[in-house]
Amino acid sequence: MIEWPHWMAIVVLAPLSGAVLTPIVSLRDRRIAPWFALATMTVTSVAALFLIMRVAQEGPFSYPLGAWTPPYGIELRFDEFSAAISVVCLVGSLAILCSVRYTEWLRELAKPRIPYYYALMLLNLGGMIGFMITGDLFNLFVFLEILSLSGYALVAVSGERTAEMAAFKYLLMGAISSLLVLFSVGIIFGITGSLNMVDVTTRLASVAADATMPAVLALGALTIGFMVKAAIFPVHVWLPDAHAIAPSPISAVLSGLVVKVGIIGMLRVYQIYYGSGILDLTVLNQVLLWLGAISIVMGAFFAIFQDDIKLMLAYSTISNIGYIVMGLGLSTNLSVIGGAVHVFNHALIKATLFLAAGAFIYRTGYRTLTDLRGIGRAMPLTSIALSIGAVSIVGIPPTAGFLCKWYIALGAFEADQPMFGFALIFGALFIFIYYIRMVNAFYFQEPIHKEVLRVEEAPLTMLGPILLLAALCLIMGILGRIPLTFIEPAALRMLAPLGG
Amino acid sequence: MNASLTSAIIPMAVFLPLAGALIAVPLGRISENARTIGLAIICGVTALCSLLVLPGVLDGTVYEIYLIRLTPQIWVHLSVDSLGALFGATVAVLWLLALIYSAGYMAGGHRLGRYYSFFMLCLSWTMGVAYAGNLLTFLIFYELFSILTYPLVVHEETPAALAAGTKYIMYILIGGSLVLVAIVFTFFVAGDQTLTPGGFLSADMDPTHLLLIFWLFIVGFGVKAAIMPLHGWVPDAHPAAPAPFSAVLSGVMVAAGSFGIMRVVFQGFGVDLLRDMGVMPYLAGVAAFTVIFAAILAVNQDNIKRRLAYSTISQMGYVTLGIGLLGNQAAMGALVHITNHAFMKGTLFLCAGLLIKRAGMHNVSEMRGAARRMPVTMAAFSLAALGMIGTPPLSGFISKWYLGLGILEVNEPLYLIVLLGGALLAAIYLLPIVYAAYFKEPPALKSFDESTDGREAPATMLVPTIVASAMTLFLGIACAMPGLPVSLARMATETFFR
Repeated sequence: MIEWPHWMAIVVLAPLSGAVLTPIVSLRDRRIAPWFALATMTVTSVAALFLIMRVAQEGPFSYPLGAWTPPYGIELRFDEFSAAISVVCLVGSLAILCSVRYTEWLRELAKPRIPYYYALMLLNLGGMIGFMITGDLFNLFVFLEILSLSGYALVAVSGERTAEMAAFKYLLMGAISSLLVLFSVGIIFGITGSLNMVDVTTRLASVAADATMPAVLALGALTIGFMVKAAIFPVHVWLPDAHAIAPSPISAVLSGLVVKVGIIGMLRVYQIYYGSGILDLTVLNQVLLWLGAISIVMGAFFAIFQDDIKLMLAYSTISNIGYIVMGLGLSTNLSVIGGAVHVFNHALIKATLFLAAGAFIYRTGYRTLTDLRGIGRAMPLTSIALSIGAVSIVGIPPTAGFLCKWYIALGAFEADQPMFGFALIFGALFIFIYYIRMVNAFYFQEPIHKEVLRVEEAPLTMLGPILLLAALCLIMGILGRIPLTFIEPAALRMLAPLGG
Repeated sequence: MNASLTSAIIPMAVFLPLAGALIAVPLGRISENARTIGLAIICGVTALCSLLVLPGVLDGTVYEIYLIRLTPQIWVHLSVDSLGALFGATVAVLWLLALIYSAGYMAGGHRLGRYYSFFMLCLSWTMGVAYAGNLLTFLIFYELFSILTYPLVVHEETPAALAAGTKYIMYILIGGSLVLVAIVFTFFVAGDQTLTPGGFLSADMDPTHLLLIFWLFIVGFGVKAAIMPLHGWVPDAHPAAPAPFSAVLSGVMVAAGSFGIMRVVFQGFGVDLLRDMGVMPYLAGVAAFTVIFAAILAVNQDNIKRRLAYSTISQMGYVTLGIGLLGNQAAMGALVHITNHAFMKGTLFLCAGLLIKRAGMHNVSEMRGAARRMPVTMAAFSLAALGMIGTPPLSGFISKWYLGLGILEVNEPLYLIVLLGGALLAAIYLLPIVYAAYFKEPPALKSFDESTDGREAPATMLVPTIVASAMTLFLGIACAMPGLPVSLARMATETFFR
C-alpha cells in the first residue's frame, strides 16, 4: 500500500483536477463546493501520509512521470524536505473548513462565485505540493506560477479597492520574481544542458571553470526570486497588505504556507549548489544571515505599532521567515534542521493565529485591538487558542516555536556567530510587546463596543480547526523530537559535500 | 518509604496542580465552597507530596525521573536533591496557605475562575522549577511560571495594575531571554549536562566563554531575584497584585531567581571553578549594596505593600550575598533564608492584605491603633517583623547566624556591617508600623470600611496568617530538627563544598 508508486502522481493531480472540477460539480448547488474541495484534500492527505511514511522508511525516492526516465522525462522526487506537504494538506484542509461559513458571510464575495474561491484555493495548494515534490527545474517554475497566480487572485477575492491594490502590488513583485527564476533556469539549462535537479548537480560539478560566472548569476537571480516569495527584507513590501487584506482563511494559507515556497525553493537551490561544489557559498550565507537578522528585528518592530490585528500578524510572518533564513545562512547542521522544522511549525502557529483572528472578525466585524477589547470574555475558547498561538510564536518553551529558536541559536554559537543568536532571541521580545497589548485588550481592558461582549463563539467549522491547530502548537513543542529527527538526514545530506 | 513510590510522588507534586487549574472553572460553577475545598485538597496533596520526599532526600537519595525527550539530545528531566526538595516544600506549603487565604480574601471578587486557574498553574510550574534536573527543564518551567504569572499581577485590571504588569513582563522577559542565551551558550560549551554538585563546567573551557555565561546567568536570574539595579518591577508588581498572590510572589517567586543562581553557581560551575574565576566577590559586593540600599528605600515608603516589596529586595540581597561569599556556612545561611524569608514575608503580606481588606488601611500612616481592632493580625505581623529583623529565637535569626558565621569563615568581616546594618534598617522600616499599631490612638471609627467595621477577619483568612506566622517561631526554635531547612541546607552545602 505504502509502496505503491503512483501516490506521488495522485498527490499533485488530485488537488489540480479537483480545482477544475469544483465549479462543475457545484453548478447545481454551490454549497457542495467546500465539501468537494475538502474531499479532494482528504484524498491528497492520504496520499501525502503514505509518501511521508515511505520516505521515513527508505529515504528519498523518485517517480518518473509517465514512465519517462530522467533526465529526459519529468521526475517527481520526494525527500524529507518534501514532507512539508503534510502541513500544506493539514492547514489547507482546515482553511477550507473555516471558509465554509466565512465565504457565506463575506459580503464582497458574490455568492455564485464561491465555487471559484475553492477552485483557486485547490489550485494554490496543488501548486505548492507540486513545487515541493518536483525534481525538475522547469517544473519548479511551472508550479511556482500556478501557486503565485492563484495567490494573486485569492488576495483580490474580497473585491475591495484596497484588496485590488494589494493584489496588484503582490502581482507586480511576484511577476518580477518569477521572471528571475525563469531567467536563471534558462542559464542553468544553458551551461549544463539539463533541467533535472540531480542531473544538473552532477553536470555543474564538471563544467569548465569559465562557466562559473553564469552559475553565480543564476544563483543570485534564483535567490532574489525566492526571497521575494519568502518576503525577506528588503523585498518584503508586498506581504503586509496582501496578507492583511485577504479573507482570513486565505491569510492563513498565504502566511503559513505560500511564503514557505520561497524557503523550499532556496533549499532546492542550495542542494544543487552545495552538491555540485562549484561555488563557495560563504558570501551568500553571510548575506542571508544579515538579511534574516534584519527581517527578524524589522518585522517584529513594525508589528508593535499596528492596531490592525491581521496586519500585525503579517509583520510577524516577516520576522519568523527571518528565523528560517538565518538558519539557512548559518549553514550548520543544527541551524538548518531548526529552520526546516520551523517551516512546518510556523505554518501551524500562523494558521492558528490567522484563523482565530478571522473568527473574531467573523463574529464582530471589528479588526483592530481597540475595537476588539473585551473579546476574551465573549469568545473564551478562540481567545485561548490565540494566546497559545501568541506564546508559541514568541518561542516560549515548551511550545512549537521554541525548538527552532533553540536550534538556530545553538547553530549560531556553533558557527561562531553568537551575535546572531542574540538578535534571534531578543528580536522575539519585540513581538511579545505586541502580544501583551493584545492580551491586555482581550482580557483586561474595558470594552469600547458593548456589543463585543454579546457575541458568541465561532461556529464549529471554525472553532474546531482553530482549537486543533492550537493543540498542535503545544503538542509539536512537546513531541518536537519527531520532526527534528525526521528532517536530520536531509539537512546532513545537503551540507555534507561542503565538509567532506 | 521505598524509593519507587517516592519516584511516583515527585511527578505528582509537579503535575497534580495542573488538574486543579483545569477544574477551577467548572468547580466554581457549582459553588465557591466546592472550588475552595477541591483546590485546597489538591494543593494539600501537593504539599504532602513535597514533604514526603524529604525523608528519602535526608538519607542522601537523589531521585531522578525522566519525563520526555524534547529533542533528540535533551530530556526533560526531574531530579530531586536536598536543595530542590527544600525549595519545593517551601513553595508547596506557602502556596497552600495562600490558597486558603484567597478563599476569604478574594470572595466576591471578579473573575475568580481565572484567578484560581492561574494560581494553580503557577504552583505547578514553580514546583517544576524546584525539581528541574537539567538547565533546559529548569528554563521551561521558569519561563512558564514567569509568563503565566502575568494574569495574576494584573488581576485587578486597574490602569495601575496594567502598568505594573507591563513593567513586570518586560523585566521578566528580558531576564528570561538572557537566561535562554546563557543556557544555549552552556549547551554549546558543555552539551546537555545534569546539574551535579561540583558543577559540570570545567576550567579547561575557554575562560571568556565561562565569564560570559556566568554574567548572563547572573543578570538573567538577577532580574527575578531583584538584585539592584535590576529590581525595578518588584515595588510596582507587589502593591498591584492581590495580597495572597503578593505573598507567594515575594515569598517564593522572587526566590526562584536566587534559587536559579544557586543551581548555576553550585551545580553548574562548581565552587572550585568560581574561586579560580574570581568573579564571586563582585556578586557579593552588588548583593551587599542591594541589602543596604533597598532597605534605605524601604524606610521611605508609606504604602505598606511597597515597603514590604523593598524589604523583599533587601532580604533577597542577603541570599545573593550568602551565595557570593562562596563559603560553606554562608551558602547554608542563604539557603535557609530562602525558606525562612518565604514564611516571614508571606505572613507580612497576608497581614497587609487583612489590613487592606478589613480596615481599608493601605498606608503606614493610617495604621495608628490598628492592634486594638485587629489584635490577632497585628500579633502575627509583629512576630514576623521581629523575625525579619533577626531577633532570636525566631527563624530570621537562624539564617543570619549562619550568614554571619559564613562571613567570618571566608574572612570578610566588613560584610558583618552589611549584615547588621540590614537588620538595623529592617527594624527602622518595620518597627514603627508595630509601634503605631499598638501604642498610638486610633482615628475615628468612620474611617474604616462600613461593611467590615475594621474587625478581625474570618477564620479562612486568619488561620493561614497565624500558621505562616507560627512557622517563623517554629523554624526558629526547632531549627535543629531533621527535615527542617537547616538539616537539608547542610546536606546540600556539604555536597557543594566537598
